[in-house]
Amino acid sequence: MKKQILALVIISGVLVSACGGGSNSSGNSTDNNNNTDSSSGGGSVILPGQPKDGLPAISAQTPDLNEYLSGGEASTNVFNEDAFSQSAPTIRSDFELDGVFKTGDHLFRGIHKGQGPLFNNATCQGCHIKDGRGEVPANTSMAMTSMFLRVSDDKGMPDTIYGDQIQTFGTVEGHEQGALPKHNGALNEGLAYGEAYAFVEYEIINGQFDDGESYQLRKPIYKVKDLSYGDFNDAVRFSPRVSPSVFGAGLLGAIPEEYITSYADEDDVDNDGISGRAVYVDEPISNENKLARFGYKAVTASVLQQISGAYRGDMGITNFVAQEEPCTDLQAACINKAKQEQDNEEGNLDLSKLSLAQVEFYNRLLAVPERRGFNKQSNSWDTDVLAGRTLFHENKCVSCHVPRHKTGEAQGSLLGDAGLLDIADTSTPIAALSEQVIYPYTDLLLHDMGGQCTEITREDNEGKACISGAQCYWVQKCEGLADDRPEGSATGSEWKTPALWGLGLVQTVNPNATFLHDGRARTITEAILWHDGEAKTAKQNFVALSKNERSQLLAFLESL
Amino acid sequence: MKFSKSFALSIVCAAILAGCGGDDGKNGTNGVDGSNGADGANGSNGVSVFVTTSDVVNTNAQHAYAVYSDSLIAAKALKEQLEVFVAAPTDENFTRAKEAWLDARESYGESEVYRFREGPIDNLTKDAQGNWVLEPEAGPEGAINAWPLAEAFIDYTIDMDGLQNPESVSSLPVGGNIIADSETYPVINKSVIQAAFGGVNDAQDEANVTSGYHAIEFLLWGQDLNEDGTYTANRDYSAGYRKASDYYTTANDFEGKVGTCTSGEAGAENEQCIRRGQYLVAAADLLIDDLQAVTNTWAPGSGFHYNEFTKVENAKVSLAKILEGMGRLSYGELAGERMSIALRTDSQEDEHSCFSDNTHRDIFLNAKGIQNSFSGQYTRDTGEVLQGASIYDLLVVEGHPELANKLRAAIELTMAKAAVIDTNAKMGTSFDLQIQLADYKPAVTETIEALKAQTDVINEAITALEVTTSDLKQDTDEFGG
Repeated sequence: MKKQILALVIISGVLVSACGGGSNSSGNSTDNNNNTDSSSGGGSVILPGQPKDGLPAISAQTPDLNEYLSGGEASTNVFNEDAFSQSAPTIRSDFELDGVFKTGDHLFRGIHKGQGPLFNNATCQGCHIKDGRGEVPANTSMAMTSMFLRVSDDKGMPDTIYGDQIQTFGTVEGHEQGALPKHNGALNEGLAYGEAYAFVEYEIINGQFDDGESYQLRKPIYKVKDLSYGDFNDAVRFSPRVSPSVFGAGLLGAIPEEYITSYADEDDVDNDGISGRAVYVDEPISNENKLARFGYKAVTASVLQQISGAYRGDMGITNFVAQEEPCTDLQAACINKAKQEQDNEEGNLDLSKLSLAQVEFYNRLLAVPERRGFNKQSNSWDTDVLAGRTLFHENKCVSCHVPRHKTGEAQGSLLGDAGLLDIADTSTPIAALSEQVIYPYTDLLLHDMGGQCTEITREDNEGKACISGAQCYWVQKCEGLADDRPEGSATGSEWKTPALWGLGLVQTVNPNATFLHDGRARTITEAILWHDGEAKTAKQNFVALSKNERSQLLAFLESL
Repeated sequence: MKFSKSFALSIVCAAILAGCGGDDGKNGTNGVDGSNGADGANGSNGVSVFVTTSDVVNTNAQHAYAVYSDSLIAAKALKEQLEVFVAAPTDENFTRAKEAWLDARESYGESEVYRFREGPIDNLTKDAQGNWVLEPEAGPEGAINAWPLAEAFIDYTIDMDGLQNPESVSSLPVGGNIIADSETYPVINKSVIQAAFGGVNDAQDEANVTSGYHAIEFLLWGQDLNEDGTYTANRDYSAGYRKASDYYTTANDFEGKVGTCTSGEAGAENEQCIRRGQYLVAAADLLIDDLQAVTNTWAPGSGFHYNEFTKVENAKVSLAKILEGMGRLSYGELAGERMSIALRTDSQEDEHSCFSDNTHRDIFLNAKGIQNSFSGQYTRDTGEVLQGASIYDLLVVEGHPELANKLRAAIELTMAKAAVIDTNAKMGTSFDLQIQLADYKPAVTETIEALKAQTDVINEAITALEVTTSDLKQDTDEFGG
C-alpha cells in the first residue's frame, strides 16, 4: 500500500510541474471513477479516470509486462505492407472461423453486383487500402477515390439533393469505371453521373518550435465543382474525410461502455481543460441506444452499423441494415438507374445477409500490429521509445489518447453466426476478442479540437466571387481542425479521439497515406501540431520540447 | 505455457518410444487390452505400427521437395514452350503453350497444402543481408498464385458492353495498362512485373495482381467472354479465346503476316505484340525464380527449412503445421474462398482459373494435396509413387484406429465429390457454368459440405495427437529463421 501511495505522489508531482497544477484525469488510483471531490462544494462529484477493470494504474515510466501486444492476443507480428491485413492469430487454428475470415476478406477486396448508381469506390479495399488508410489525390485533376466530402446544411441535416455525402462516381453506360460528375449532367441528360467533383488546394502555414526550428503545415481549402444534380442548399457544409484504417475495430467494439464513459468529463469537473463527451446512437437490429464509438465524429455504435452504412453510402450496395439505394428523392436520374439494377439477394438487396456478416466478422477480427522497439528475448524497450512514452504521458497526451483498455465479452453478430453457405440463428461471443488488455491510445470520446470556418463561398477558379454556372465553385475555408458541420451529436469542431495503434506502420502499408481525418498532415509531427481546443495545452507542451525530446516522442509514436 | 507443456510431453513420448524399442504398448487396434496390446501389435492389414511423429514429418518434408520440384520443372517447360510460341506464334504452338500451362498447374495444385502453416511458400524472403529467411507473410505465394488478377492493369480487356476498356477506377495507371503504356514502362522484364505487383503507386493491394500463373493464363487465353463478345453473366461453354495474332510481330513473321498485330478485335501497333510476348516470357521467368527459391528451402539436407522442419525436437510443432495446413486449406481457402463465394455470388471474377476454365482442376488438386499429406503419398509427374509414413499410421500407433479410419473416409468422400466437379468440367460443363446450373450446383455444394466435414475430423485428429493451437501460435520465434 505504501508503495502505491508513493507512486501516486510522484506522478502528481510530475504533473504539477509539467502542467502548472492542473489535476490529472487518469493514472490515479485504480478505482478513482468513484473518487469524490468533496472540496468542490455540496454534493459528491465523480471524477473521470480509469474504470474498475481490475488493472493497476498504468505507469508513465514503466510499460506493462505485455504492453508490446497492442491488441492483446489479437496482435500480429507481421510488420510489412500486409501489417494491417492479418487475422487474430487465435482464430487461425479454428478452421471454421478462419474460413469465415477468409471469405470476408475476399468480399472486402472484391466488386459486387448491384453497385451504385452512386459510389465513391467499387470495393471496400479500394478506400481502406490494404485495410489501412486511404489517400488524398496527388493533384487536383485526380478524382477522390479513397476520400470524400460529407455534406449537409448548417444543422447537420442531409442536403435535400445530395444526401449526406458526395459520391464522386455514377453509373452511366459506356463509363465502366464510373461516370465522373458533369455540371447539371443528371438534370439535363437524365443520366446518373457522379454527384460532384471535390478537390483540395493547400496553403502553407509557417511556424516554429520553441527552440527555433521551423515547420510548415498544409492548410486545406476544399473546392467543389461539376454538380450534376443542381445546386447545394444555401447553408451547405462540407466535412472532408479520408478513409480510416479498419483493423482492431472488433477490439474497440468489445470495450464495455462503462469502461469508456468512466473517462468522460463533459463538464470538466476535474478542471483539466479536457472534457471527453460520450454520445449515443440507436443500434440497428437491436434498437438499443448505445455508445457511439465508430466514425470520425462518433456516429455509429458497432462495426456492423459502420460497414453497412459504408456499403450503402460509399459503394451503393444495399444490404440488410441499410436497405435504401444511395439516391435522394430529388435525384431522379439516380432513382431511375437504380430501378434497372438487378437486386439479386433476398429482400431485393445487393448484398446477402451472409456476405454482410462475413465482412463484419472479417473487420472485427483484423489483428493489431505488435509494437516495434521491444526486444522479446531480453524483455526490454528501446530507450528512445521508452523516453518518448514518458513524454507522451507527462505532456497530457494520455488525457485523450488513453493508452490502455480492457475488453469485455465480445458479442456475436446481431445477424447470427456466419458459416460458408448459411447463417445460423445463434450468435456466439467471439473469444478471440474477449477479455483482452489492449493499447489503442484512445478514449473513444468526443473532444472540441478548436478552429472555425467562414461560410462556404462561391468563387471562380481565380478566386473571384460568382453566383452560378459551371465555373463557379463552392469553397470551404476553415481555421484549425473544425469543419463547422455538426454530425450526429458532435458539433462542427468536435472529433472523436482516434486510436493511435499501428501509427508507425501507416506509411509502410500505404506509402501515400497521410494523417488526420482529411489527410492534411504529411507527418506525425504535423498531425500533432494541428491539435487545438482541448488539446491546446498538450500541443504547446510538444512545441516546447527540445529537439531530442521531440524525436523521442516520435520514436514512441512510430513504435505504436 | 501450453506449448512448453506439450513440448515436454513429446520429449517424454520420444523417451518412452526409445526405451521400448519404438513401441509404447498402446498400439494394437484393440488398445492395451487387446489380444496383442500389452506387447504392442504388429498392426493389421498392412498398416505399419512403427511410425513416429518424426517419420510423418520427414515424409511430409520429402514430399514437399518432390511436389515443388515437379512444379518448378513444369514451370520451366512452360517457359520453353512460351518462348517457342512467341518466336513463332502459330496456332499449333499456341495450343502447346496452353497445354504446358495446364500441365504446370497440376503439381502446383497439389502443393498448396503446404500453405497456411508458416512455411516457405507464405513466408520466404531475403533479410537485409541477403540471406533467405522466413518472415510472416513475406513469402512469394501472392506473386505466384494470387487472384483475382488485375487483368486490366496488364493488357486490354472487354467490359460488359463489349467495349475495350480498363475495369477498375481506382487501380489503373493514367497511361492505361502496362503492355500499352510504354512511357511509364519502357521495358518489360521480370523486375518490372515484380515491382508492379501490388499496384502502380505501391498503395494498392492484391487487387493489382500482375504476376504468376494467372497472369500467364490471361495472356494465353484472354478474358472468358461470352459468345456475343461481352462480359456479362450469360456464360457460354468455352474458355477465354485470345487470338494468336495478339503475338504477331514483324520479327516473328512466319506466314507473311507482317503488320497484323492485334489487341483482340482491334488492330494494334507491332510494338504491342512485342511487349505482350515480353510480358508472357518475363512472367514465366519470375514464376521460375519464385518456385526455385521455395524448392531450394525444402531440399533434403541442404534446404534450411527442410532441416529446421525435420529436427527431432521440432516434430510436434511440425506435425501441428501439417495439420493446420490441411485444415485451413480444406475449409477457409478451398471450401470458402475458392468455392462458396463463387457459388453464392455466381461470379466469374471469383473463379480461380477463370480465363482457362481450369478451376475444376484447382479444386480437385487442392483436395488431392490434402489427401497426400494424410496418406503420406505423392505421385510425381514422372509417375513414380512416393510412399512414406502417414498420419493414418500415426493415428493408429497413437491408439486412435477408428479416428484414422474416419478421417480416411472423410477425405475419400471429398475426393469422390470433387471428382464429380472434375468430370462434369471435362465433359464440357466448366466450373463457371456448374455454379449457375441447377443440375450441377449440388456437386459443388456437396464438395463444400464434404470439405467442412473433413475439417471437423482433422480437428479431432489434432486433439487426439495432442498438437494444440498454442503449439503454432508460439513457435514463430523459434521457427523464424
